[in-house]
Amino acid sequence: MDTIRRILLVCALVAVSVLVAAACGGGGGGDGDADGDGGGQPAAEQVIRINLGSEPPSLDPVLATDNISSFVLQQIMDPLVRLDQDSQPVAALAESWDVEGTTLTFHLRDDGQWTNGDPVTAEDFVYSWKRLLDPKAAAEYAYQFYGIVGAEEYNTCERNCDRLADRIGVEAVDERTLRVELISEQPWIVSQMTHQSFYPVHRATVEEFGDRWTEPENIVTSGPFTVIEWQHDQSMVLEKWDEFRAADEVDLTRVEMRMISDGVTALQAFEAGEVDACLDDACIPPQEIDRLKETEEFIVVPSLSTYYYGLNLKNVPDVNQRLALSFALDRTEIVEQVTKAGEIPATSMAPEGMPGWDVYHQEFLPTTADLEQAQAYLDQAQNPKTDLTLVYNNAPGHKEIATAVQSQWSEIGMNVEIKQQEWAQFLEFIGPPPNRQVDVFRLGWLGDYVDAFNFLELWRCDSGNNSTHYCDPEYDDLVDQARATPEDEERYELYRQMEEMLFGENGAHPIVPIYWYTTTTLRKTNVEGWEPNILAQYDLSRVTITE
Amino acid sequence: MTTFVLRRVFWTIPVILLVILLTFLLMRQIEGNPFRKTERAVPEAIQRNLEEKYNLDEPWYVQYALYVKGVFTWDFGPSLVIRGRTVNDIIHQQFPASIELGLLAFMWAILLGVPAGILAAVRPNSVFDYSAMFFSNVGYALPSFFVATIAIYFFAVRWSLVPTSGWGDSWTFDSRKLLPSLTLGLLPMAYFARLVRGTMLETLQQDYVRTAKAKGLRWRRIVGLHVLRNSLIPVVTAAGPLLGYIITGSFVIELIFNVPGIGRYYVTAVEGRDYSVVMGLTVILSLIIVVANLIVDVLYGFLDPKTREAAA
Repeated sequence: MDTIRRILLVCALVAVSVLVAAACGGGGGGDGDADGDGGGQPAAEQVIRINLGSEPPSLDPVLATDNISSFVLQQIMDPLVRLDQDSQPVAALAESWDVEGTTLTFHLRDDGQWTNGDPVTAEDFVYSWKRLLDPKAAAEYAYQFYGIVGAEEYNTCERNCDRLADRIGVEAVDERTLRVELISEQPWIVSQMTHQSFYPVHRATVEEFGDRWTEPENIVTSGPFTVIEWQHDQSMVLEKWDEFRAADEVDLTRVEMRMISDGVTALQAFEAGEVDACLDDACIPPQEIDRLKETEEFIVVPSLSTYYYGLNLKNVPDVNQRLALSFALDRTEIVEQVTKAGEIPATSMAPEGMPGWDVYHQEFLPTTADLEQAQAYLDQAQNPKTDLTLVYNNAPGHKEIATAVQSQWSEIGMNVEIKQQEWAQFLEFIGPPPNRQVDVFRLGWLGDYVDAFNFLELWRCDSGNNSTHYCDPEYDDLVDQARATPEDEERYELYRQMEEMLFGENGAHPIVPIYWYTTTTLRKTNVEGWEPNILAQYDLSRVTITE
Repeated sequence: MTTFVLRRVFWTIPVILLVILLTFLLMRQIEGNPFRKTERAVPEAIQRNLEEKYNLDEPWYVQYALYVKGVFTWDFGPSLVIRGRTVNDIIHQQFPASIELGLLAFMWAILLGVPAGILAAVRPNSVFDYSAMFFSNVGYALPSFFVATIAIYFFAVRWSLVPTSGWGDSWTFDSRKLLPSLTLGLLPMAYFARLVRGTMLETLQQDYVRTAKAKGLRWRRIVGLHVLRNSLIPVVTAAGPLLGYIITGSFVIELIFNVPGIGRYYVTAVEGRDYSVVMGLTVILSLIIVVANLIVDVLYGFLDPKTREAAA
C-alpha cells in the first residue's frame, strides 16, 4: 500500500512539475537583484505572507521547544541579545554586558516595554527564568540554564524547593541591571541566551491567565510585532507594534502566517503567489529540490548541524575497522547525488562556520572515498565484523543515504543490513545505553548555540546523547577544561585536541561524520532580508518588500 | 422503537470502555517517549518532572482508572506534546472542520452520486449510463491524494479559480472548501452511483413495478415513489459507516488541503506518543461510528417496516 501510494505520488509530482515547468517557461525570472540589499524600491504595502508548515505548538518560552514556535517568538519578544549575521551576540534589550570571572552583568535599555505599557525590567528576567526552572513547570529546555549557579539543584529538587529557588544565581540589582552567577566561565553563555528559553514573559499576564496567557486576546509581548489573530492550525497574523523601541527600523506592517504542512501543496501555494516566503524547507518537498535550487527564489545558507553515523564500539571494537568505514565513505557523492541541498562533507564534529574552525578542524578523513587506504586499515583489523546492522529513522532522505552508504561499504567487503524505525521508537532503541543489536546508527546534532563545545561535549562518558560506548577520561578532562577557559584561542586549542582524539590519525573514531547541514528556504525575489542566520533564526524586523 | 434505541444507546458504553482499554494497552506496548521529540536526550530529572506532572509515574491501572474517570466527566486531559493545549481544546477547535468537511463530502456524494445512479439505471446502456459508470470507476480507482494534487494544480495554480488550500470559518461559504470536499466525496460518490444503479435495475424488474405500470401509473411516479424508495435501503445501510469513515478518514485530504481538522492530530499524536490525544480522539471517533450506525438502524426502521417489527 505504502509503495503504491509512493509511486503514484511520484507520478503525480512528475506530471505536475512538467506542467509547471512548461507554464513557467516563457516567464523569465525577476529583475536579477534578488539577493542584493537595497536593490528595488520598498513597496507601498509592507505585508508578507509566510508558510510556517505547521502550527506553533506553544508561544510560551517555557514550553516552546521547536523551530516554528521559536520563529514566532523571535518576532514578538525582545531578547537580551540577538545573534547577528556573523553569528556574534549583539545588543538587543541589553545595551551592554560585563563579564568578571563567573559573574555576568547585563545593563538593560530604559526604553524596553511590554505591549501594555509596563517597562521590561531585570525583575522580569528573574521571574521568567525561575518560572522555567520550576520543577512543576517541567520545561524540556531547563538544562540550558544548568550553567547558572543553583539552577540544576532547583530544577531537580524533591522538597523545600522554594528555598532552592531563592538560591539561584540570578538577581535584579536594580530595575535595569541583571546579574547572573555562573558555575564556571562558559564563555558561550551570552550567545546561548539568544535561545527562546531565555526570553522574558510578563508576570502579571501569566499569573492572571495561567495556561491561556498566550492566546491572542491575552498575550502581552515586547518585540517588534504583536499577535493579532490566531486560528489554530490555519493562520496567525502579526502586526507591527508601533510603540516598539526600534519601530523606526521595522518596515513590515503585517505578517500573515499559514500552516500548510503538506510540502507539495505548500509549494503550489508558493507558486500560485499565495505565499511570499517559507520557513526552512516548508515549501520544498525533497523530490523537487533539483528543480527549485535552480530558481532565484531558492536560498541556501550553512547551518550549525552535523549529520553522522554513530558506531557501537562494543560491536565494532577495532579502531582499524572504524577507520576503514570512515575512509570508504564517499561524503562528496552523498551530498552531491543524494541530499543535493548544498551540504558540506564533514570531516570533524563541529561544523564549518563556527568560531575557531581554522584551529580545531581536522583534515585527516577524506571527503571522497579512499578505498585503497580503507582496505589497508581493514587488513590490519583483528576479526572485523563484516555483517553490519545500520539503523535509521523513517524521515525523508535517511533511507537514500543509508542505501548509498550500504553500497559504498560493500566495496570493502562489508555486508550492511539496513533497518528503518519510526522516530520515537528509534530514539529509545539506539540508547543510551547503546543497544547490542545496533552496529551503526544515524543521527544528527543541531547546535543550540554558536560554540564547538555544544558539539564536543556530546562524547563525554556520561553524556545522554552518546550511544557509542566511547568513553575516555582524558577526553572528559578536556571538556571540563574547556568549560572553564574563557580565552578563545586557548579554548579552540582544547577543541583541536578533542577533535583529534575523535577523528585524528590516532583517534578513536566513535562516529563517522558525514556532512554539515544547510538551511534551505524559498522566498519571492521581492522579499529582502529573509536569509536566516547560522542557527536558522529569521529576523522579520530586517525584512523589506520591494516593488 | 424507543426500547430498541435505548438498548442500542446502552450498549455503546461497554463498547467505548473496550475501545479505551485496547487503545490504552496498545499505546503502552509501543516504545517511545512523548517528551523526547528531538535527538536531544531529556535529562533524567526533567523526565521525572514531566512524568510526575502527567501522572505517568503511576501504575498502569491507576492511569487507566484516572483516564476512564476523565472520559466520563468529559475531560480528556492535557496534551503531552503540544504543551499548553488540552485534548478538549483540540477537539473543540479542530473537530468542527472535520465534521464540516465530512458532511460536505457526504452531501456531494448524495447530490451527485445518487442522481447519477438513478439516471444510469433508468437509461441502461445509454451514453449517459456509460459515462456515469466510467467516472464512477475512475472515482474508485484513483487514490484521493493523487486527485487532490492534480486538482490543486489545475484549479488553483493553473486557472486560479480557487486558492490552493486553507479552510476559513466554520459553517460559512468559502471557496477554499470546494476542492477538499469534492475530492473527499469522490469515492462515496462513485460508490453511491454504482450502488443505486445496481439496486434500481433490480427493483425495476420486480412484479409490483410491472403491476403499477399495467395499472396505468405514470412512469415518473413509479420510479420516483415506488422504485426509488425500495432502492434506497441499501444506500442508507452503506451511508452510516461511510459517513463515519469520511469524517474519521479524511486525514490525507486534511493534510494536503491544510484543513484545520482532527485527522492530522491523530497521526502526529501516534508518532509523538501523545497518549492523551490518541486516547481522546479514539474515543470521539468511535463514538461517531457508533452514533452513525445507530442513526442508520433507526432510519432503516422508517424505510422498511419489516425491520421495525423485527426489532420490536
